[in-house]
Amino acid sequence: MISSFLIAFRALFAHKTRTFLASLGILIGIASVIVMVAIGKGSQKEVMDVIAGMGENLITVNAGEMKRRGGRLRLTGNVNTLTVRDAYRITDEIAEVEMVAPFEEKRMVAKFGNNSAETTIAGSTRDFLIIRDYHLQSGEQFSERDSKTANRVAIIGMTAVKNLFGEEDPMGQVIKVHFIPFKIIGVFEPKGVDTNGLDQDDLVLIPLSTYMRRIVNQKHITRIFVRASSRNNIAKASEKIRELLRENHKLTDDRNDDFTLVSQLDLEELKKETTELFTKLIVGVAAISLLVGGIGILAVMLISVKERTREIGIRRAVGATRRDIIRQFLYESLIIGFLGGGLGIILGVGLTLGLTKWGHWILILDPNSIWTASWACAGLGIFFGVFPAIKASKLDPMEALTTE
Amino acid sequence: MNLIEMNSICKSYRNIGFETQVLNNVTLHIGEGDYVSIIGPSGAGKSTLMAIMGCLAQPTSGEYILDGEEVGKLNDRKLSRVRNEKIGFVFQAFHLLPGVTALENVTLPLVYAKQTPGNAKERARELLAKVGLEHRLHHTPGQLSGGEQQRVTIARSLINDPRIILADEPTGNLDSKNGIETMKTFDNLVKEGKTIVLITHDSEVAQHAGRIISILDGQIDSDSGVHRERNTLSL
Repeated sequence: MISSFLIAFRALFAHKTRTFLASLGILIGIASVIVMVAIGKGSQKEVMDVIAGMGENLITVNAGEMKRRGGRLRLTGNVNTLTVRDAYRITDEIAEVEMVAPFEEKRMVAKFGNNSAETTIAGSTRDFLIIRDYHLQSGEQFSERDSKTANRVAIIGMTAVKNLFGEEDPMGQVIKVHFIPFKIIGVFEPKGVDTNGLDQDDLVLIPLSTYMRRIVNQKHITRIFVRASSRNNIAKASEKIRELLRENHKLTDDRNDDFTLVSQLDLEELKKETTELFTKLIVGVAAISLLVGGIGILAVMLISVKERTREIGIRRAVGATRRDIIRQFLYESLIIGFLGGGLGIILGVGLTLGLTKWGHWILILDPNSIWTASWACAGLGIFFGVFPAIKASKLDPMEALTTE
Repeated sequence: MNLIEMNSICKSYRNIGFETQVLNNVTLHIGEGDYVSIIGPSGAGKSTLMAIMGCLAQPTSGEYILDGEEVGKLNDRKLSRVRNEKIGFVFQAFHLLPGVTALENVTLPLVYAKQTPGNAKERARELLAKVGLEHRLHHTPGQLSGGEQQRVTIARSLINDPRIILADEPTGNLDSKNGIETMKTFDNLVKEGKTIVLITHDSEVAQHAGRIISILDGQIDSDSGVHRERNTLSL
């Protein structure tokens, strides 16, 4: 066994270039599998981070039916059944809910001096910041009193700051929305885009009471943000919210919900599907490149057998059995497979780490892909080595010896 | 008892539907320690006879008993073992592994031996010294002259201490000086008790053997050993 291995190893060592070329296909295949899987995992994590960044254990209750149009979730119809009262019943009556933030928003023009810009004017409660994971960069949150008295104060997001104030410090300044002046009391830390690609920093947040009374003058709201008490409770909380709202809205069994629940889990599931599809595609491409690599081994091994017909004859004459010959050539293809695989793993891991460090890509090395790659190259080495090895063993010793 | 006992051996090759009869009803007995030459023109079937004798090919029909064992019925593994243990080959074209040192070429049969003796390297060195190559142990075939290569081949054929040496035109690729040296080596091996079968078309080389068998068209044309046997009997 060991001697066959040594024979194979030395034969390969004697033909360094050919050995390297034979393993090149496997090398590239394995390296690309590792890098591509890392890219897939990286983008998946990126998406998951965005979802998590929208707020921990978040459940969003939207008024009306939500439908996916043009890749984005949009509300359909005009429903006015969702109210602030619904929001408070949710916290009061459902144990799995930690807190809620009723929410209403509208794209409107805000003015500061001579600058004006369209932005999202949103009204919500103090808990909105906690539930949606918004942090203040400077200034402060509006107070209970601000809410009660429908005070004209606002917290502003970075994009709105840039559009309205440019380089100027917005703190303490007064902007006008609908001719109503609002004093800026806080500035949000930048948050980036959400899963739908919407800018979460293009926002001016005011107390909900102010919004309802001074901006729109209505009773119904379009959204309630809910934080479940734990990740495990998200599903249960969602179910209870559904029951509660149906009861509140007096919906009989034959009628559809007049609201849509989207939980963090739903979003994750949705995104996972797309990234998983992407991963499958990658694996498919990688499998093809590995197959090509395997065919490379096959070709080189067949040439090798042909070239070494005389050597096979000599070995047979001095006592090598067919099995010895099979073993020798199988070891060769196996070594080629492992060589290509090993170098491929080194290259793949190197590229992954390099791109993460210097390319500022988000790549996540998957130990599973390395493990699978190792098996794949062993498998390829054997699979594509069997045919040439058997061919070698079937050579007639006497004919092999007289081959020129 | 005869070491080699061939009875009615036939060998034919089928090629694109045509059957070519190469050996036709060859019966041949060689005793232990015999020194036999097989001569004949090219195409007479000498090499095929040697291939069968050396267990490199199986006869189409007939019976071949080697050292009391019917080898015509052996499977590949057992046949390989017979080649490994009982037969040493010396070829016209030397057939050494290229790029491998003389020492390793000599130990090659031990790679496939049932048991590798612990003193394999030592034994290989001794054998190379015996053929006068103690200063060429680590040279590859490419660095050796034809005569030297042939001596490496002889050393290799002896490594497993086989009972039979089969030599196919051993002097064919050598100049006369190296040819004479090689034949001297064979002469000495016979004195040590080896059985040697020499295939040649050179009648001068054939004369070294005590018995000359002439092959023609796949059949034994003449066999001096038959006379010798008779002579021995009459003594």
